Amino acid sequence: MVFFDQLAANLIYGAILGAVYGLATMGLSLIFGVLRIVNVGHGAFIMLGAFTAFWMFVLYGVPPLASISLALVIGLALGFVIFYAIFKRLLDAPELSTLLATFGIGLLIEELAKQLWGPDYVGYSWNIGAIELGFTTIPLTKLYAFGSSVVIAALLYIWFQKTKLGAAVRAVVEDRDGAMVCGINVNQIYALSFALGIGLTVASGVLVTLFVPVGINVYMGGEYTLKAFVIAVLGGLTSPWGAFYAGFIFGLIENGSYTILGLIPGVEPFSLTRFLAFMLLLVILLIKPTGLLGGEK
Amino acid sequence: MSLIRRYKPMVPLLLVYIILFIIGVSVPGMWQPVAFIMFYIALGQAFNIFLGLTGYVDFGYVAFLALGSYGMALSLQHFGPELGFGAIVFGIILGVVMSLLLSLAVGAVALRLRGAYFAIATIGVNEGFRYLVEGLRLWGGSEGIVLSGKMREIFGREMSIYLSTFFSDVLVFVVAIIAGIVTLTILNRKMGFALMALREDEDAAKVMGINVTKYKIMAFITSAMFGGLIGAIAWTLKLTYVFPEDVFNITYTVEAIVIVMLGGSGTLFGPVVGGLIYGILKYYLNIILPGFQLLLLAPLLIIIIVAFPEGLVGSIKKRIKETRLYEYIK
Repeated sequence: MVFFDQLAANLIYGAILGAVYGLATMGLSLIFGVLRIVNVGHGAFIMLGAFTAFWMFVLYGVPPLASISLALVIGLALGFVIFYAIFKRLLDAPELSTLLATFGIGLLIEELAKQLWGPDYVGYSWNIGAIELGFTTIPLTKLYAFGSSVVIAALLYIWFQKTKLGAAVRAVVEDRDGAMVCGINVNQIYALSFALGIGLTVASGVLVTLFVPVGINVYMGGEYTLKAFVIAVLGGLTSPWGAFYAGFIFGLIENGSYTILGLIPGVEPFSLTRFLAFMLLLVILLIKPTGLLGGEK
Repeated sequence: MSLIRRYKPMVPLLLVYIILFIIGVSVPGMWQPVAFIMFYIALGQAFNIFLGLTGYVDFGYVAFLALGSYGMALSLQHFGPELGFGAIVFGIILGVVMSLLLSLAVGAVALRLRGAYFAIATIGVNEGFRYLVEGLRLWGGSEGIVLSGKMREIFGREMSIYLSTFFSDVLVFVVAIIAGIVTLTILNRKMGFALMALREDEDAAKVMGINVTKYKIMAFITSAMFGGLIGAIAWTLKLTYVFPEDVFNITYTVEAIVIVMLGGSGTLFGPVVGGLIYGILKYYLNIILPGFQLLLLAPLLIIIIVAFPEGLVGSIKKRIKETRLYEYIK
């Protein structure tokens, strides 16, 4: 059965991609959970990570997995700068202000990137072999991307649960005023969480490049912004872990529906899959706006 | 008497429109820039009815303009030969109705949600719809609809040039005037006060017995219908083509946000000032520095939000509170 082989292959692929999606969404959920800021410019930071991987590979031959730490550092630095330059002033502003500010920052990053690197699609190929499964072959690069996502998410979990700073972040999420009374410097926690969120997002951009060999472009982020919102809402919006699990589910749904839609004659499955992602977002928001995987009441 | 007093704030609006119109028709070569500026004024007015009055952001707003432009295109394509000029009227109606239907569908889901959740729900509306059009190969799919040949066939060569280079722009003036009157009427009535209460504190407004969802949906639908109107006349009738990549482009949503925030959200005169400044800047920047508009827009938007959240008209209103001019600025 060619169809079932194809479906099975796509589902495995979906689970692998889903882990990367999950990682790419954790930053969004972390920032919303701690600061109540929706980062509408999320995709631009993924694009920055993708270009980090691209340039490190093309210029210095650094394998993408090694670029992750550099991307994380770039993201952290950028996060601190953006927080202290803009969001520290907007902490008590209406929601409209922070929404529009993140939107403007995303646009600014994309346009600056366009001036620097041009509007064309670029890519690189990092070929290190593949695993043969009989009905399909999985490139090792993708398995490494899967492994890296899981490891980073696990490290973050340990950091949150076992360190004092991690506990402070959790305390601020629970109750901002209570945390302040206990002597936690809330502004510092805000800055740290924002920077960490951006750092994770930029780092995930490195892994994204392993799935889009020639799809690196300054406007590539828009697609991931939409997907990240679907995933974040699926995972409850305030929880990075919810986001990580929701990433898996989304990866499976996306790839599964692509295979099934491909059977219908006269439609373009690629565009329709993206439409489905958007419909999924509306449906989840309609039936359970706090996310399918729990989240706040 | 009280009616005249209530509509006094229309005076500066109409003055701006009349001056622009006179410049456009009397100075040779100025009609095109004037029409360009008027498009942005009208877009700002339409968007302000929702963003300004409710404080909610609709990131997918351009989808309403897109549906309006498809409505006009479909009408000209299918009914043009039989209806002639009636097809333009029907196209406007169809465009508005299509935007209305989309706004009902999106609004029914999204407007149950508060603040950030609403913004998230709207973020994919334009892209989602574009993928639907391309995915199902609806209305010409990704190739879009090209009407220039069809319009020559229906109206003749001279007439179709007149329609797209003059008549459509005059209609934009009319839309801008109507949008101003509608905005002012909302501001003067119970709906305006209810929305103001909602913008300040939604929970408190609810407790006071205001049906916030009803007023949000009314503002959303009104704003969407004006979007459809602008799409039908300022895009399809003027440009004589519809490409999904162009009409669903998020840049127009950004421009609308910048215009409203620059002029002062929730004010009547704000979008006019914002649109005027933005339109002039963009028209001449396009000539001097083509391709840099978003690069300049993004920092402008950030600066306005951080430093002047009330916008130009909002700040001016505060300054002139004690003077007689105050009655004219809303």
